[in-house]
Amino acid sequence: MSYAAPAGTDDGSMPADPDDPLGPGSMLHPLAHQTRWGLVASRAIVLEAAHPQIGAALMTNSTFVAHPWRRLRNTVLSAQRMFDPDERVRQREAARLNRLHARITGTDAEGRPFNAADPEARAWVVATLFESTVTMCRLSGESLDGPALDRLYSEFLAFLALMDPGGGELPPTLREFWRYYELMIEERLENTEAVHVILDRLFAQVPAPPLLRDRPALWAAGRAVAGPVATAITVASLPEPLRARLGLPELPGARMLIHTTYLSTRLATQLLPQAWTRLDTVMDMLDPTYSPRPGSDALTELRRGAAKAGALLRLLTPTPRTAATGDSTLRSASRFFSEVLDQTGNGHLDWPDLAAMAREIATRLDLATEDEDRLFTAFADWWRELQKELDTDGDGRITGHEYAAATAAMTSSALIRVADVLFDVTDADDDQVIDAREYRVLFRTAFNRDPGDGDERLTRAEFVRRFLNFMAGRRHSDAYDRLFAQS
Amino acid sequence: MDGNGRWAAQRSMPRTAGHQAAEAAVIDVIEAAHTAGVEWLSLYAFSTENWRRPAAEVDVLLRLVRRAIRKHALALHTRGIRCRFLGVTDPRIPPPLARDIADLMALTRDNRRMTLTVAFDHGGRRDIVEAARSLIRDGVPPEQVTEESFARYLPHPDMPEVDLVIRTSGEQRISNFMLWQVAYAEWVFPRVLWPDFRSEHFWECLDVYRRRDRRFGGVQVPTATGKGLR
Repeated sequence: MSYAAPAGTDDGSMPADPDDPLGPGSMLHPLAHQTRWGLVASRAIVLEAAHPQIGAALMTNSTFVAHPWRRLRNTVLSAQRMFDPDERVRQREAARLNRLHARITGTDAEGRPFNAADPEARAWVVATLFESTVTMCRLSGESLDGPALDRLYSEFLAFLALMDPGGGELPPTLREFWRYYELMIEERLENTEAVHVILDRLFAQVPAPPLLRDRPALWAAGRAVAGPVATAITVASLPEPLRARLGLPELPGARMLIHTTYLSTRLATQLLPQAWTRLDTVMDMLDPTYSPRPGSDALTELRRGAAKAGALLRLLTPTPRTAATGDSTLRSASRFFSEVLDQTGNGHLDWPDLAAMAREIATRLDLATEDEDRLFTAFADWWRELQKELDTDGDGRITGHEYAAATAAMTSSALIRVADVLFDVTDADDDQVIDAREYRVLFRTAFNRDPGDGDERLTRAEFVRRFLNFMAGRRHSDAYDRLFAQS
Repeated sequence: MDGNGRWAAQRSMPRTAGHQAAEAAVIDVIEAAHTAGVEWLSLYAFSTENWRRPAAEVDVLLRLVRRAIRKHALALHTRGIRCRFLGVTDPRIPPPLARDIADLMALTRDNRRMTLTVAFDHGGRRDIVEAARSLIRDGVPPEQVTEESFARYLPHPDMPEVDLVIRTSGEQRISNFMLWQVAYAEWVFPRVLWPDFRSEHFWECLDVYRRRDRRFGGVQVPTATGKGLR
């Protein structure tokens, strides 16, 4: 069956340009806004993790296991910018992603260097997304014909070119692509630790989305069923040679399960009102703080409906019994360490954890290059300070115990610089006071939170004091918790 | 909603028992107002000054409010009642309660049969000061500040002026309640304590209001109806 791209945007607000390979008239644009794209993404991430460079980067730097929902929200927002009708928005986002990836470097467990901005690795990411999209269509019973495949491939090439104007390392034609893809599967991919972390830990241990964070028992019960099913579907959809190399058996009935899942998601996408199956709507349900740019009236209406359904669900779900714990604003140093500092969830604090915090701030505030550089430099200085003062055994990382033992006596001049940068990027009019308007902008963009219409005015000293209090683990802060702690 | 403490004291019970008993009155009055076709009903649940009460009492009050919201949210929604809150800015409000309040407002925001405004952590003077600050921040020239333009800076500016204020337990003070909006309100002071206040008392107050001769400072007598009543 041939694939017909829609003639206009989702909201009909502007005419679609069929020649724009990433615009609303493209094949990719509507696909990337559908919830069933999640099937593509989860399969693609396993294929990517089997690439040694990407696997190493995921293992050492990514927060996707510890904070999967935050990671998902950032990915969805980024994808929306990459398929924005305005090309300038796409280019700005591509540049931001490039800067972000260029900072992710290191060596894997075998001492091999990795770099998230490596052109070969980046080409493989785009290749897995393309192949997974084709697989999704095939398993959903809507195989793409020759011209549609060529068109889809050319759109993915355009996507890669946006990230890598040098042309990237994907073959120019589809015929050559399949040869490249098979070669990668046979010769380049490895049985990496990251693959098994995704399949064994991510699906099985994924923490509750914000919607169900207060209902751990309900979430655990659902996850006990959905986790193994998601793993079985993902494994069964992997290419046979790779599955054999990874030592992953195909479970009985997995084929039927996979076809049923893919077919039902396709039917749901086709039969239900378009807005219901949009990624935006589902994200709205799962995460009330998710707030993408405003959409069409119909979409806004649906989003409100989703918000109402979420509100009703929360109000009707029984509240968990909470023990009286005295002052709830105080938290233990060890909890602060695991909830806030250990961003990658590997049990210790090292540079990737602090880099993840800097990435989170830079992403949410959509910082310009100069501010982003200042922020990363400030975090790097803080890391050096922490290493110097806390890394007593000199192994390049800090344990929760080392942090708790020394934090109270620590000087924090580098951390003050982090707060200073945050203050500067918020203080838009440079009057050295964060006024009510700037405060609201900071909260709405960085923390996805409406602070109300209060008249909060923060001087630099007060802003720094609050930030330091939070980072020292002395006080809970709803706003900073949203940014760093919640998954 | 006055008289919870006295109601409890008369029965040799702790003050918090009075607050617990108040829930039934709240639901009864909402139901009665809904039946009477009242379009705007406001309840003064907690003032900015109430934070001065003993911490244990405040804690119980906050728990009761949260329990009541969760218990009655669906019923309020199905009756087409839009629920809004006036105040609710103090950081001492526990986050779970703040989230339930936000959820209740989100759930019922499109309802129009009746608007229920719960003044919670409310202070009339504070609202006026906040409005003045907003005016100044927006750089509105003094000659453009009129009663109408000022009112637009108050919280919930779509709310009509208050027609009727019912203060239970015989107390006869304003107590910092919606100072701007009650300028021409009629006041009724039934002696019944709030936990004992029921729909029949509400109807009696409406009857008193209907018989009042409302002049708004002039001599004309407009027709008083239950509509638009608060």
